Amino acid sequence: MNNKTRHHPDTSMLLEFSAGTLDTAASICVSAHLHFCAHCRDSLLRLDQVGSKLMEDAETQPMDDALLENVMQQIDRLDDVSDAAPAKPTTATKMAEADYPPSVNKLIEADDKPPRWRRLSGSVDMARLKTGQNDFEVALHRICAGGKTPKHDHGGLEYTVVLKGSFSDERAVYSEGDFILRKPGDTHQPMGAQNGECICLSAQSAPIKLTSPWGFLMNNWLRISPR
Amino acid sequence: MTGRVNALQSSVKRSDQWSVLLTCVGENRDRSAFAALFKHYAPLIKSFAQASRHEGWFPGLNEDLVQEVMIKVWQKAAGYNPEKASATTWIYTVARNCRIDMLRRKSNTQHLPLENEDYWHEPDEETPTSLLQQKRSEEKLRESLSQLPREQDEILRKVYLEGKSHAEASKELGLPLGTVKSRVRLALQKMQILVPAEFQDELAHEQ
Repeated sequence: MNNKTRHHPDTSMLLEFSAGTLDTAASICVSAHLHFCAHCRDSLLRLDQVGSKLMEDAETQPMDDALLENVMQQIDRLDDVSDAAPAKPTTATKMAEADYPPSVNKLIEADDKPPRWRRLSGSVDMARLKTGQNDFEVALHRICAGGKTPKHDHGGLEYTVVLKGSFSDERAVYSEGDFILRKPGDTHQPMGAQNGECICLSAQSAPIKLTSPWGFLMNNWLRISPR
Repeated sequence: MTGRVNALQSSVKRSDQWSVLLTCVGENRDRSAFAALFKHYAPLIKSFAQASRHEGWFPGLNEDLVQEVMIKVWQKAAGYNPEKASATTWIYTVARNCRIDMLRRKSNTQHLPLENEDYWHEPDEETPTSLLQQKRSEEKLRESLSQLPREQDEILRKVYLEGKSHAEASKELGLPLGTVKSRVRLALQKMQILVPAEFQDELAHEQ
């Protein structure tokens, strides 16, 4: 909820998010960034105003009164039900955290098979999240304090949002809320900050490619599985 | 002096009739206020539905969307904060989310863990910009939107009303993706929608 984020989604991503045309995986990442970034929330409000003005200016035809009556009746029924409905119990899993964006916590908690950490390397764990789309693997990554990850290139698009702690690569230090987009050809070697573990939300459209001399041996194991 | 302060405070309360009505629905479950909102917004939502060029959208869904949106408005009105957005902007966001969710439900056999409105959850906080600033930007927007060059206006309509992604718009218009993006950016610059982060910090210090 701080306002110190330095890496933001670009204008066209925000606009597509506002218009609702951004794909699911990217929307999840933009939504996570917005949780931390007051600046982008402010831009989003104005982008929403553009949409609302366009909607408002449309030519209209009068509506059939029957539709209003119908909606009024549905509302009556709703009010009867909601008076009686008990509060929904929430099942908190270990992975959800109070500081996380609500959309991320909802993904963690909505899964019928609770996501769990799997070891990827000596310093990185990963937990896949179920998002109901097939284009991106959406997952949480956890880098331990000071942990080094192998140097890699990207086979497709990769969105990353830092949820907790910070990490760095050759270009910059990324902390809570920062939004990072990597494309094929963007080679980097992320490292966890020394002062604590770092947890990121990420969405990948293709596996990463290790660039070390023996990396090609590993690349066969690096698969993504969107769910 | 007190008089001036009062005048200032009352001038920053959002006073357009729709926002007042929506607040009444939220606070008092006021049915006649809701009916008035319905009469104004239902035709707008219907034409928003008709504008959709999403794959899988068909005319039979238009009135379904109107009903679904207006019922959501009734259910969620208590969460409406007139200091954050006008009623029209708020109802637009409900309509946008419902339209996408209806499409996803129609085209997807998988269970979807998130509804579209989940992406827009806002943390409770003070109003990011003052209402006065917002009103100014809304007025500027109204004015400048009508003065946009046709090719910029066309793309904004495609994206917001028809629901086309930048990539789809570029295909349809036979333009490179980069051109679509730069037209969008030019339009937003003209409307002064995007304030670069650096400037915004300066603005915050000035206040």
